[in-house]
Amino acid sequence: MARIPEIKEEERYRILRETARDYAARELAPGAEQFDLDPASPQLKEAITKAESLGMLSALVPEELGGGDLDAYAFCVALEEMGAESAGVAAALLVHNAAQLPLALSEHREGISKIASASTLACLAHPGELAVSGGEVNGRAPFAFNAAESSFVILFSSGGVPVTVVMVSGETDGLEVSTDLHQMGLRPARAGSLQFNGVEPMATIPQGDRLQRASERILHLGLAAIATGIAKKAFSKAYDYACDRYQAGSKIIKHQQMRVMLGEMLAGIEENRAMIARACASEDTAPAMVTWMKATRNGCKAAIDGVQIHGGYGYMRDYGMERLMRDAKYCQMYPTTDQEALLKLLELSESD
Amino acid sequence: MLQRELSERGKELLRDFPVLATLREHDRSGIDGMIKMVEDAAEYNRLYSEPIALELDERMEAEPDFFEHEILEKACKYRFLSMAIPSALGGLADKYMVTAMALACEELCSCCAGIGLAIAAHSLGVSPLLTSGAMAHWETVLYEIVEEEKKGKPVVMAYAITEPSAGTDVEEPEFLKMADIGMEARKVDGGYLLNGRKCFISGGSEAKYITVCAATDRTRPMETWSTFLVDKDMEGFSCPRVELKMGQRACHAAELLFEDVFVPKSHILGYEGDGIANGMLIVLAASRGPVGAIATGIARGAYEHFLAWARTPCNGKRPIDEERIKMALVDMKAAVQQSRGMYLSHSMAGDAIFRGAFTSPLFKSMFLMPRAIRASKPMSGLFNSDYGKAMVNTIFRFFIKDEEITDLMALGSLAKFSCADHAMEVTSRALELMGADDSIERRWVEKCYRDAKLTQIYEGTNQLNRLAFYDTRIGKTLNIEVPGPFKRGV
Repeated sequence: MARIPEIKEEERYRILRETARDYAARELAPGAEQFDLDPASPQLKEAITKAESLGMLSALVPEELGGGDLDAYAFCVALEEMGAESAGVAAALLVHNAAQLPLALSEHREGISKIASASTLACLAHPGELAVSGGEVNGRAPFAFNAAESSFVILFSSGGVPVTVVMVSGETDGLEVSTDLHQMGLRPARAGSLQFNGVEPMATIPQGDRLQRASERILHLGLAAIATGIAKKAFSKAYDYACDRYQAGSKIIKHQQMRVMLGEMLAGIEENRAMIARACASEDTAPAMVTWMKATRNGCKAAIDGVQIHGGYGYMRDYGMERLMRDAKYCQMYPTTDQEALLKLLELSESD
Repeated sequence: MLQRELSERGKELLRDFPVLATLREHDRSGIDGMIKMVEDAAEYNRLYSEPIALELDERMEAEPDFFEHEILEKACKYRFLSMAIPSALGGLADKYMVTAMALACEELCSCCAGIGLAIAAHSLGVSPLLTSGAMAHWETVLYEIVEEEKKGKPVVMAYAITEPSAGTDVEEPEFLKMADIGMEARKVDGGYLLNGRKCFISGGSEAKYITVCAATDRTRPMETWSTFLVDKDMEGFSCPRVELKMGQRACHAAELLFEDVFVPKSHILGYEGDGIANGMLIVLAASRGPVGAIATGIARGAYEHFLAWARTPCNGKRPIDEERIKMALVDMKAAVQQSRGMYLSHSMAGDAIFRGAFTSPLFKSMFLMPRAIRASKPMSGLFNSDYGKAMVNTIFRFFIKDEEITDLMALGSLAKFSCADHAMEVTSRALELMGADDSIERRWVEKCYRDAKLTQIYEGTNQLNRLAFYDTRIGKTLNIEVPGPFKRGV
C-alpha cells in the first residue's frame, strides 16, 4: 500500500472530505463507466440528485439564501474527492455552482430559488461571443457544459463594458441548443453549443465584472481540484497494478523506472494541493488561474502515465484508466487555454 | 521508358523527404514505386477512410464487436495487403520494401490510425512467414493472399505474441527467460497441440491465418520458443472477445483462445526452438520503424487538423494570424519532420538488409520454375524438410547479418518510442491550444490524441523500446543471431 500524503486540514474540511469520499464511493464509483458511455442515463441523474445531501447543488450560496455556504477551499475538497471517482459528475456540479455564484454574490433571491427548484443543472455560457443590447441576447457560445438539458443558462455579455450577467430560461424562444459536440471527456457534464437569437432574459444584473471574475475563479479552482482527484485515482490504481503485475522477473513496482513515474505522480499531487490551498486563500484571479494551468497539466501527466504503467490493459475500458486520461485533458481545455491564461496573467500584472 | 509526371502529393512527399528526391536521381523507377504507394494511400484516405473515420470510431465505442469489412475490401483495390509480400511472389515489396511500408503507414494513419492499423497489422502477420523462410507456405498462404486480393477479396493475417500475463516479457529475450508463459505447443504425433490464450492481437478477429509465437515447453521458453502458422478454421481455435479500446478502434484488439488446436508439423515456421530470432526479434526489428511511422501519421493528422482549425475564423479573427499559433504550428511540424527522420533511418537500413534477401537474383531464381512444380507436394515437402529449410536459411544467412539485424533493432526501437512520444506531444499540444469548442477539427484531434496513446504501448511499451535501444546500442548486451542451417539463433 502506498499512502497519498494528506495535508493537515481543519476539522470541518476533514469531515467534508470524508463525507464526499463516501458519497463518491457509494454513488459515483459503481456507475462511473456507465455515466461516461451513456450520460443520459437515469442513474446519472439520480447520482447528481443525491449530491444534494452534500449541499453540492447550491454549495456556494450563502446559508441565509438556503445554500451550502461552502468556502472555495471546502468546495475544492469535495470536488477533489468526487473527481477521483467521476470527474464528469464533479465537473457538472462545478459548472452548476459557478453559474449560480453571480446570483449568490448579488443576492438575487429569485434566480437562486428558480435554479434550486429546477430538476436540471444550470449551465454557464462562457466563454463566448455574446452581446446583450436592447433587452435582447444575441450571439453564440460554442461550448457550454451542462447545456444539453439545462433549464437555466447564466451568461456574461462580452465585448461591451461593463459586463452584464444574464439569466435565460433553457426553453426560451430563440435559444437553440446543439448537442452534437462529441465530447471526449467529462461527458456527464453534457455540453452543447448555444445560439441566441434575440433571446429575452429572465433577469439581468448590471456591473457584472466582479461577478464574472468570481465565477471564473471558482471554475479555475474547481477544475484544478478535479484534476487532482484524477491524479490521485491514477496514482492509486497504477500503484496497485504495479504491485500485482509481474514482468521481467519481478513485480513491476520493483522496477526503478516505474517507481520514478509513480513518484512523479505523487509529486504532482502534492504540488497541486499546495497550489490549491494557497489560491483558495486569495480572492485574486491570478493565483487561481496559475493553479488551474499547472494542476490540470499535472493531472494529465498522471493520467497518461497511469495508462502507461498499465500497458495494454490501461488502454482498454475495463480497467477504468483511459477515462481518466480523457477527462483530465478536458480539465485542461476549459474554460480557457493555457496560452490565453498566460497572456491574461501578464496583463493582470501590468494593470496592478 | 516514359517518365511519369509527379502528382501534387508526390511532389509534396519529395519536399518532405528530400533524401528521396536525391535517391530518385539514381533510381527513378524504384522511388517512383514508393511514391505511387503513397499516392494510392492518399486516394484511399480521401475516398474511403476520411468519409467514415469519425462515425466508425464512435460506432465502435458503442459496438466494439462491429467490424467494417469495407476497410479491407477497398484496400484490395490498391493491393495494400501485398505490401509486405516480395515481388517475386507477386506482391508489391521490392527494393524499398520497409520504406514503402513505413511511408504508406504514415499516409494511412494521417487520416485514421485505426483503419491504417487494420491494414498494417496484416503485414505484421505476414512477416514471420518471410523471416523464417517458410517457402512451403509462401506458395499456399501468400499466393492465396495475392490472388484473392486481385479479386477484391481480403485474406488477412495477424501476428500473435502478447499473452495476458506476458506483454513486455515476450518482446525481450532476457525477460522471456523469467516470463510467466501461459501458452504451450506440446509436441504430439505428427505435430503440436496448442493450448493457451493470446490477447490484444491487432486484427486477430478478422485474420484467416495467424502466426503464433509459443514455447513447446513453457518452463523453458528461451530454448523452445517457436513460431506456428494457425488457420482460423483449425479445430479448437476461437476468438472469444475483442477489447473496447480508447482509440484505433477500427482495428480490433482480439483475444485468441487455443484449446487443443492441432497444428501439423508442416506448420511450424523455421525450426522448432528458433522462434526468438525468426518469430520475434527479426520481426520486431523490421516492424518497429513502421510503428513509428504510424505514430508519425497520427501526429501529422493532428497537425493538419490543427492547421485547418487555425485558418478558420473564430470571433471574427483567425487563430493563425496570432504569432503564438504560428510558433506552435512550426513546433508541431518540426516534431513530425524529426519523427520522419527517425523512421526513415530505420526503414532505409531495413531495406538494405532485406533487399538482399528478397530481391536478389539468387532469391528470384528460386521462382523461375513454374508454380505448378513449386507448389507441388514433393516440392513443398522438400521446403518443409530440414534440407529445404537449411537451403533457404543459407541464402538468408548470406544476406541478413547478425550485426545488421541488431543495429536495425536499435534504429527501430529508437524510432518507435521517439515517434510515439512526439505523437503524444503534438496531439496534446494541439488540444491545449484549441480548447473546448464546437469545431469538427477538435473532434478529429481528440481522435488523434486517443489514437496516439496506443503507439506508446504496443509493439513493446516505450520503456521496453528504450531498453532495447540501450541493450543493442549502448550496453551491447543484446546481439541478435540469425538462425542458420546449423544453428538455432538467439
